[in-house]
Amino acid sequence: MAALIRNLGARAAVAALSAKHVVPAAGSTALRMASTTPVEPKKADKPTVRQPDAVARSHLSDFGRYVAECLPKYVQKVQLTAGDELEVLIAPEGVVPVLQFLKDHHQAQFTNLVDIAGVDVPCRKNRFEVVYNLLSLRYNSRIRVKTYTDELTPLDSACEVHKAANWYEREIWDMYGVFFANHPDLRRILTDYGFEGHPQRRDFPLSGYVELRYDDEKKRVVCEPLELAQEFRKFDLSAPWEQFPNFRNANPPAEVVPPQAPAKK
Amino acid sequence: MAGREAVKRAVQQVRPILSVDREEARKRALNLYKAWYRQIPYIVMDYDIPMTVEQCRDKLREEFVKHRNVTDIRVIDMLVIKGQMELKESVEIWKQKGHIMRYWKESQDPKPTDFLSKFIQGVN
Amino acid sequence: MAKIIKASTGLTGLAVSTNPHHTLSALYGKILRAVSKMPQDASYRKYTEQLVKQRADSVAQHKDITALEKAVGCGQVEELIVQAENELILARKMLGWKPWEKLVQAAPAKQWDWPPAQIMEPKV
Repeated sequence: MAALIRNLGARAAVAALSAKHVVPAAGSTALRMASTTPVEPKKADKPTVRQPDAVARSHLSDFGRYVAECLPKYVQKVQLTAGDELEVLIAPEGVVPVLQFLKDHHQAQFTNLVDIAGVDVPCRKNRFEVVYNLLSLRYNSRIRVKTYTDELTPLDSACEVHKAANWYEREIWDMYGVFFANHPDLRRILTDYGFEGHPQRRDFPLSGYVELRYDDEKKRVVCEPLELAQEFRKFDLSAPWEQFPNFRNANPPAEVVPPQAPAKK
Repeated sequence: MAGREAVKRAVQQVRPILSVDREEARKRALNLYKAWYRQIPYIVMDYDIPMTVEQCRDKLREEFVKHRNVTDIRVIDMLVIKGQMELKESVEIWKQKGHIMRYWKESQDPKPTDFLSKFIQGVN
Repeated sequence: MAKIIKASTGLTGLAVSTNPHHTLSALYGKILRAVSKMPQDASYRKYTEQLVKQRADSVAQHKDITALEKAVGCGQVEELIVQAENELILARKMLGWKPWEKLVQAAPAKQWDWPPAQIMEPKV
């Protein structure tokens, strides 16, 4: 019996020894494990998506704040869209003062009117937006000025500030029917004489209202109301499922520049 | 009194296009009519259209009477502006004969109204 | 003749100025006088005064035209004159516009919301 116990004790000792012997082996495996742990995965960069420059963004929002501070009477909102595009949203009364300020002020010098665009959003009270794109060659920078109007409210013409506005405003008058007060020569520019309506309005049908054809008897072009073989149908194109679930919490397309600068540490 | 002031404020809120009151808008419309009326003989001569001056004046009257129910001053102004532009296009001979003849819509047949003619033309 | 340092500005329609220091200091003085008619707390007045004074100081300090251009760092001296002329016109117009007053008209609700599909209310 005693021999049996001794034997057991010896076995236990052997077990303890072997266990002690195992420890360094366990340590080495742990080391090996540590050497093969996956490193922090690199953030997937999308080479096709342009990342806005943080410095340029801060400069732009500073300048937007500067404009809003200098012209509090007209500037309603300043925002950055698409990362680094500065937009100044103004009341319709301020078109000429704001454009003149941006053109002539020492710090702005947006002397180049690149384009004037119109936007029609029929569900709004003031359904038309007029967008002025400006370029400053001195500071290599662009700015967008937006204002709004409806079908009957005239906007002030920017012709006295920028000569280039002449044809752009004629185009907007022709396409949207926004009337520009004090324009030197407001008349149609793209549509044919005798054309009725403003084709870029959302309620203007894609096919138009009239069609032209050459009449052989009268030897001239005649104009007839368009008749579609099929009645216009309203198609409901919205899908029953959500198409872009990844973008449910995406960043809003525009971020507002607050009027006061964030406190610096 | 308060109601009247509210009305005045509501009126002031919209920006006038050209005219500030109804009388002015009416005068503008009449002036446009007179200008067209006086230009019609020259338009008939220049474009060599197969219409007499009287027919053209009837058409002019018809075009103006079409909008006789318009009461909003700004809508009247907008119509006057468009009429002015059209007059200029006609007088400066920017238009062509076909554009002038478009006012008469002669190539368009009147739409059938009674059952039998609808049936014959094959529309319903 | 050492007075005229260059034959051309290199810019179309912009002639070489014969006495830029005199022109610039006169223009800056005029701007400061126009701006001083604005209220004290107008931001436009504050910033313009600051900038114009800075430039006037550089004009007074640097007699050499090249040094002046380098000190201001905003183009050739002829361009500085054009900028000062523009600022003067702007400052005089600003006196009529009074842009330091409070907002003339707040944006209607949902006017600047984008995308517009999220605007559910029908048009009034």
